[in-house]
Amino acid sequence: MTTKNKFFGILFIFISGFSACSKSPDINDETMLDGDKIFDSALYNPAKYLVSVGIENPTTAQKNTPVIIAAHGYSASTFEWDEFRSYCDVKGNILVSQVLLGGHGRTYEDFKNSSWEDWQEPIMTEYNALREKGYTNINFAGASTACPLVLDLIKKGKIGENGMKHIFLVDPIVVPSDKMLTLIGIAGPMLGYMETSNTPGEEGHYYHFRPQETLQQLLDLIQISRKDLQDGYNLPSGIRVKIYKSIKDPTADAVSAVLIYKGLKNSDGSNIDVEMIDSELHVVTRLTGRDNITQHDRDIQEHVFDDMYLLLTQE
Amino acid sequence: MNKKIIFSILFITSVFCSKAQPSGSKAGWLGELKGGIRIQKAQKLYWENGFAVDFASPKIMDSRIHFGLSYVTSRLGSAMGTNAIKQDNFLFSPAYHFRHQKHLQPFTRLNLGYFHSDYEYAIFDVLPNKAFLLSVDAGLSYEFTFPLTVSLSAGYNVNNGTGSAGPGTLYPVFYQMSIYYTVLKK
Repeated sequence: MTTKNKFFGILFIFISGFSACSKSPDINDETMLDGDKIFDSALYNPAKYLVSVGIENPTTAQKNTPVIIAAHGYSASTFEWDEFRSYCDVKGNILVSQVLLGGHGRTYEDFKNSSWEDWQEPIMTEYNALREKGYTNINFAGASTACPLVLDLIKKGKIGENGMKHIFLVDPIVVPSDKMLTLIGIAGPMLGYMETSNTPGEEGHYYHFRPQETLQQLLDLIQISRKDLQDGYNLPSGIRVKIYKSIKDPTADAVSAVLIYKGLKNSDGSNIDVEMIDSELHVVTRLTGRDNITQHDRDIQEHVFDDMYLLLTQE
Repeated sequence: MNKKIIFSILFITSVFCSKAQPSGSKAGWLGELKGGIRIQKAQKLYWENGFAVDFASPKIMDSRIHFGLSYVTSRLGSAMGTNAIKQDNFLFSPAYHFRHQKHLQPFTRLNLGYFHSDYEYAIFDVLPNKAFLLSVDAGLSYEFTFPLTVSLSAGYNVNNGTGSAGPGTLYPVFYQMSIYYTVLKK
């Protein structure tokens, strides 16, 4: 083969590679959240999921009841906090507002076209709506990517002094476990999307295909969060943070907890609370839909829910 | 703090410089010994800086094979005065230099060593913070007519942290620049 032929051969393979990867994924509308038939339930019935919508005119007692804004992680949906809602329904005395992140719970294209700022927006919208309605005891629980989203709101001063009481960070991501994410800017345009291996129980609640554009957004977000924490900042007074971090998390590297613990301090400069959990799960509070759940996993979930409930109701 | 580090680097470099003399008569096996500073950036993570020495002998593949020792740390980079994790890399690096008698030498290198990160708080003792380092890198080295060599390379860490094993801040892709002063040359 001449040099010229070799050159065109390599060029052909390269262009073929790009064109093959730019195709849309093969979405099954009947089973996948990515399609145009399954949408997050919160889109059909927001009153069931959002306290600000569900309770039109809250009573004084309701206004003083702890309300917790529960936000899910990247590519997930409100499903991720369903078990906590069920737990609180049984225990009582807590209102749960399950926020659907922007761009999520809709079609693959909607997800693909969303930015991390879009994902963040509904958290702020619900927070402002609750404040406007007079709720005095607002709290936040975030899973995975919801954690850097709320940390960014704190850093930017959008959640100010006495605006929130407790923030629970469950398996926050600042450092990804899969370090190949750091190469998404180079490899992403060639890959187009990444396919996940959801269980049948997860399929309608988590995106099956992750557009490379959203993975780049995720990387941008956690880079911002990591750099903010590297510089360090304090919580507004009146807010307490607790991290629950799985030690062998396959998605959010456990070292994320170290970075948050070092970089985020209470308003008086003291350390925030952290609990390292002996688990191999990502988001230890969500068990529904997973295969091979053990009693140990159930014990951890119950422990975290009990701990959150205790902190929310002890004042 | 930054000034102290810079003065330390300048001092060490000046010590190297003051000793830089040709030693043609004694060096049977010793061809070239260089010492200098290294600047390293992990893709999407920290700056880690430190020191490196490089040795090559005419008796070992006619100076095509170089042997290096280096130490880079975030303590001299991103962790200076910040909350970045303090981490250290100790490396032994055999390298193969192409065009070894020219000023511009492409090279490829195997790096073996030890990584350690300091999480500072006892609660994080449950996390892995040590690792065997195995990486490869390749780049270009330019030897000036005066006793200075600059090399640039990009590399890949084979055993980066995976969440379930290995230190979480051991990232796969890194870029390096080394500036060497020739301490001894046959």
